[in-house]
Amino acid sequence: MERLLQQPLRRRKAVAGLVAAGLSALLAAYYADSRVSSSSLDERTLFRHLLRRAGFGLAPNEVTTWQSLGWDNAVDRLVNYEQVANHDLEALLAQYHFDLTTPNGIRLWWLVRMAYTARPLEEKMTLFWHGLLTSSLGKATPSEMIRQNQFFREHALDNYGVILKGISRDVAMMRWLDLAENRVGHPNENYARELMELFTMGPGHYTEVDVREAARAFTGLVLRKDGNDYVSAFVPSQHDRGSKTFLGRTGNFGPDDIVDIILEQPATAPFLATKLLRFFVTPTPSPELVERIATTLQKTNYSIKAAVKDILLLPEFREPSAYRSLIKSPVEYLVGAIRQLGAHGNLQFAPQALKLMGQDLFAPPNVAGWPGGTSWLNSGTWLARLNAANTLVTQRAMVQFDFHSLLGDPLPQDPQGVVDRLAEVFVDGQLADPQRQILYDHAGPAAAYHQSPDQWLDQQGRSLVYLFLALPEYHLN
Amino acid sequence: MLSRRELLRASVVSLASGIVMPNLFARALEVAAADHRVSGPNAAVLDRTLIIIQLAGGNDGLNTVIPYQSGEYYAARPTLAIAPESVIPLNDQLGLHPSLSALHSLWSQGQLAIIDGVGYDHPSLSHFQAMDIWQTADPQLARHDGWLSKLVEGLVDSQGHPLSTVALGATLPPALCCPPTPPPVLENPKQFRLEADPRSVSLTKAREAALRQLYQAYQPPAPYAALLQATAESAALASVQMQQVLTSYQPSVSYPSTSLADGLKLFAALIAGGYGLRIGYIILGGFDTHALQADHHAQLLKTLGDAVAAFYADLQAKGHAQNTLVMTWSEFGRRVKENASHGTDHGTAAPLFVVGPGVKSGIYGEPPDLKNLDENGNLKFAVDFRSVYATVLAGWLEADPQAVLGQSFPQLPLF
Repeated sequence: MERLLQQPLRRRKAVAGLVAAGLSALLAAYYADSRVSSSSLDERTLFRHLLRRAGFGLAPNEVTTWQSLGWDNAVDRLVNYEQVANHDLEALLAQYHFDLTTPNGIRLWWLVRMAYTARPLEEKMTLFWHGLLTSSLGKATPSEMIRQNQFFREHALDNYGVILKGISRDVAMMRWLDLAENRVGHPNENYARELMELFTMGPGHYTEVDVREAARAFTGLVLRKDGNDYVSAFVPSQHDRGSKTFLGRTGNFGPDDIVDIILEQPATAPFLATKLLRFFVTPTPSPELVERIATTLQKTNYSIKAAVKDILLLPEFREPSAYRSLIKSPVEYLVGAIRQLGAHGNLQFAPQALKLMGQDLFAPPNVAGWPGGTSWLNSGTWLARLNAANTLVTQRAMVQFDFHSLLGDPLPQDPQGVVDRLAEVFVDGQLADPQRQILYDHAGPAAAYHQSPDQWLDQQGRSLVYLFLALPEYHLN
Repeated sequence: MLSRRELLRASVVSLASGIVMPNLFARALEVAAADHRVSGPNAAVLDRTLIIIQLAGGNDGLNTVIPYQSGEYYAARPTLAIAPESVIPLNDQLGLHPSLSALHSLWSQGQLAIIDGVGYDHPSLSHFQAMDIWQTADPQLARHDGWLSKLVEGLVDSQGHPLSTVALGATLPPALCCPPTPPPVLENPKQFRLEADPRSVSLTKAREAALRQLYQAYQPPAPYAALLQATAESAALASVQMQQVLTSYQPSVSYPSTSLADGLKLFAALIAGGYGLRIGYIILGGFDTHALQADHHAQLLKTLGDAVAAFYADLQAKGHAQNTLVMTWSEFGRRVKENASHGTDHGTAAPLFVVGPGVKSGIYGEPPDLKNLDENGNLKFAVDFRSVYATVLAGWLEADPQAVLGQSFPQLPLF
């Protein structure tokens, strides 16, 4: 109540009246003078922003640790994650015994990694690669998909050439884009085309002849039975050894030559820079920004680590215009909620929930991956997000979280204090006054809270958490 | 059947299965009504429905509507060609794939139009460019709004139907992109509802009231405010009606067990139940048959034909077939010559289907000329796809095709 009483009475009344009447125009005018200041963001907010973009958000007790490092060191720690021990995660995974030969087994295994890793950027980049260099359970087995996923994790910040050469021999990719069907004299163009259109340059930078010649260069890659699995191999006798003319160069090119020639093309670095900037910074990166990150890629032999580090250190990354400029993907939404809640338990519901939200892991809608951005949000996916939040918050037998670690000890003095602390955890405290007032009203009077805070939290507190996970602001990144 | 007024009332008072926002609802109605006054093309003025079935991946047109007298066809497809005796003949040159027997029964009833050789100049062989071209009706890729978006503007139509446009799938199809209020997109209709707090009704009611206020209070210029508000509004209204539809509909026929048939059954329920469906959009994927095509493609065509036939049988029995039109499209056909993987690579022109009692049955356009291919070994087109759009816009939806498509195209005598 203290906080409430500090506000001018006139304003409080106005808010209550407006909300009841739903007079949107007046509310907009009110909102305009009370919204988050656009001039600058405080450090704590920026660190939460950093860890949401470079990871999946922060557990309640983590923000101070990251903030105390300072920005440059925090970015160093994020990108040099191989120096960060991940024992807790490995121990947790060992407990779960997921069956990695089933679609849901591999989905849960990865979700647990994302939710509990101490190396958030490693998993975030793995998600980036899964969305860019797509493959799907539609054509590959769960074991093959998880091997691809491990490949992305092992090379998450490697050079792009290494990643592309590896993915060209990846069993799941070879199935997904028919590389295994690509034969001398009968090239299958699927992989060659998508490599250039979707993975490296974009349309307009190559011809149909280049597609065919590249397909010839990829002949000789085959799948071989190895125990119960298939492995890939390059068989020179099955390779088209004739001369190929590709993007203006002529020679007896093989798979790796094609990748090398593509990386020399002027279109490639800006293409990849744009993908990275859209993933980490803004849906509309300026040409200058693209140029800057493209230059980094070109100067460092396409080091993804160098590019991502540059991106996280960009002044533009910290500007208010970047804040909440992205829409959370379903994985970011759900894993973020689990992480921020510090929730544990049975996550069996999560793969299906993500599918309903529009992101069926290991099964992107097509080779272009998830289109992302505003396409994440429609009435169906919005309902699915809120229903997943409902499961997290109200299925106490399935998912557990502890209000004391969420709110910090000692507990807040009153329900308004609970709202304020939750606002810190879930929306960086960046909540406009009308929103905060509605949540205060929902929290109700202090008497019930004072009688038994724990009982109150288990009832009202859970409803509040649901509302935070449902907030318009919470869908943004 | 519910009258529109009853429907409207039901959705406003029904709190049990979802949140309802009477104030916002009223505002959306006004906006929709205002739009209707100022904009010419509006599907909502008519009692007609257009169902779009997207065959995603590039349907092999030559193995769908088969030139079974063409020596070139059999020469180019040594393992994939459909033998003349298996083809279901339509005339002395063309016939349907044997898996399309159900669709052929609609042909026999005079309810199937086939437009052959549909494409456009300088075709793109990229799935995504080609899909964008079809969905924006712009081969230059300069437009970003979908060709149907103008028709579906407004969350509800002028009669108050939040389900006047429904897309089934995970994301909004670019063809419907992006009116200020995105139409409902459903991955699973049964789960298209806001779940209650299992702990108590009163907790559910309290949090849904707060939720409504929180979205009302999130106003521009806050980031994505218009989109978030519109999405929440649309979800709240449409989910209530959707659950009514699902619990009340009794189809007249038994539909096949495919997700395409499930989707068409839902559309039938919306049409027959008077929920005001004007545009329904559904995707059948898997047509990118680069390898081992034969069985897979046959299965896809059977899925398509059987589902469409069941849909019309159901609507016929309910008395709504006359006002419902189905149109298929695919981003391209496939290469004339099969590849070494017993599949086909990306091609160009292909046939599409327009189905319903409202259409004049027949074959339109030009059968493919396999003797006159382009430099990539692909078919040349005979009918610009935008002519098909113009035909459907003018002849079926009574919209102004030039206003929607930005230029005028010759129309086909389909209606």
